[in-house]
Amino acid sequence: MESEAVIITEGLSKVYKRLFKPSVKALDTLSISVPKGSVFGFLGPNGAGKTTTIKILMDLIKASSGTAAVLGKPSYDVEVKGMIGFLPDSPAFSPQLTAYEFLNICGKLLKIPSERRSARIENVLDAVKMSPHARDKIGSFSRGMLQRIGVAQAILNEPKLLILDEPLLGLDPYGRQEFKQIILGEQAKGTSVFFSSHILSDVEEICDHIAILNKGKMLCCGKIDDLLAASGSKAVVAPNNDDLLKELVTSAVTTSKRDDGSWILTFENSSEIKAMLTKAVEKFPQSIKISASHEKLEDFFFRIIKGDGKTE
Amino acid sequence: MNEIIAIAGSTWKNVLRLKVVYFLVFCVWVLIASALNYDILSLGLHKELLLDASLFLNTIAGVLVIISLTFEIPKELKEGVASAMLSKPLGRTNYLVGKMVGYIVVGFVVCSLVAIGSFLIFNISFSEPIGIAMLQNHIMIILSLIPMAAIAVLFSIALPEIIAPIVTVLVIWFAHSTGILSSIPVIYGGIIPDLDLFNFKSEAVYNNAVTWKYVILVALWGISYAIFASSLASLLFSRKDIK
Repeated sequence: MESEAVIITEGLSKVYKRLFKPSVKALDTLSISVPKGSVFGFLGPNGAGKTTTIKILMDLIKASSGTAAVLGKPSYDVEVKGMIGFLPDSPAFSPQLTAYEFLNICGKLLKIPSERRSARIENVLDAVKMSPHARDKIGSFSRGMLQRIGVAQAILNEPKLLILDEPLLGLDPYGRQEFKQIILGEQAKGTSVFFSSHILSDVEEICDHIAILNKGKMLCCGKIDDLLAASGSKAVVAPNNDDLLKELVTSAVTTSKRDDGSWILTFENSSEIKAMLTKAVEKFPQSIKISASHEKLEDFFFRIIKGDGKTE
Repeated sequence: MNEIIAIAGSTWKNVLRLKVVYFLVFCVWVLIASALNYDILSLGLHKELLLDASLFLNTIAGVLVIISLTFEIPKELKEGVASAMLSKPLGRTNYLVGKMVGYIVVGFVVCSLVAIGSFLIFNISFSEPIGIAMLQNHIMIILSLIPMAAIAVLFSIALPEIIAPIVTVLVIWFAHSTGILSSIPVIYGGIIPDLDLFNFKSEAVYNNAVTWKYVILVALWGISYAIFASSLASLLFSRKDIK
């Protein structure tokens, strides 16, 4: 796994020294490994150290101790940045430049050959739905539009690794949906994605790995499916099985109908329920599939943070 | 080199699109032309007064452009514009040099516009061409932007954002002062640039030109000083956390 990791940090710490005030330990011996090709969610409450970690990875701030390697090279290696796409937490760009001019400058810095640059800029503007605003000044853009331009500059170089700090912040539900599609699209192309977010439902939807940080310390890290404990049972009932559905629905905790007409029902973890489901499977073997249902990420997150005894 | 040009290009495009730049040039033209009203007060020396005003005001315009650099860099660092740029394969030194070159270009445009305007005002008012010494001195004012920009970059990295513009103004003020500090060579012409080398306004007004060799040597001194100051700035910037 180590050799396949796109980000490896070992004992990474950051202490902010302040004049006439006590020092602040923003990051405490953080060791993580982000597997290649994964969408890695980096979670934690405000002040947990997420942005500090990301800035160390981008060599914007210096670690007090420990090491950070990105794509097999030290994080301070300038050339490795040509293979990374980065979106800062509050993207701000030169206000008097147009979106096209700004991306053109980014293209020059990323050493994209001039003959390919224009086509690439048009592609990314199209991907983030900003083509109609290509010639508008960045200073006239809303927060959501700035976020789109931020994503456009991050994917301009077709990066091997995307590092995104709160990419979904300030976006409307449509924007969030589009961005999630962009992230998944990049993953499909083989790009690894490392992003921090407060929106747990989105993280649960698109991430396959997560790490949770609190007050600079990592509380857990791993595959999301392994971390979220089985909290009950989930039944998928095939379409047109009303009799079976009637039998189960009264005991279900949640029910939802899918587009194909099938139903998903979740149940609590109890021996009576298990017996009922076993009976149903015996009676309608072709019409029902049972699996373990997992804890919601939100519940897991609060459980882990509370367990750390540091909820503010 | 391409990275420096890219950053410099974005800087001068960003600044030269601000209307306030052209308002500043227009105000300077008006002030230069206003010297024509002082023919009686100056005992008929209003021609020399106009020439002197054009040189003095062009220096002020250049200094104002350079001072704005001490606001620009901390603002970019604070707002995240610099983070977006430095996340590319750019290098911190290239970023600083790019900003410095960008502002030197802005200063070149502003000072050239002021100089051209002052030549036109002089030509229309007195129906005679401008002397070579005046041309040389306007060129020297433009060249003095090089060490001044390096000073501005150094202080905008080394000092807190509120203090940096004030200290830069003070240093540029002292650097333009004549011999008072010359007995302390480590400070004057060392830590503080000797901008008096670029100044021969009183001779230029009476069309006493200097040799072009002198202009070139002073330009080379300015570039050397800029390399020294920007290297120091780069060293400090390489250790700085970008919040």
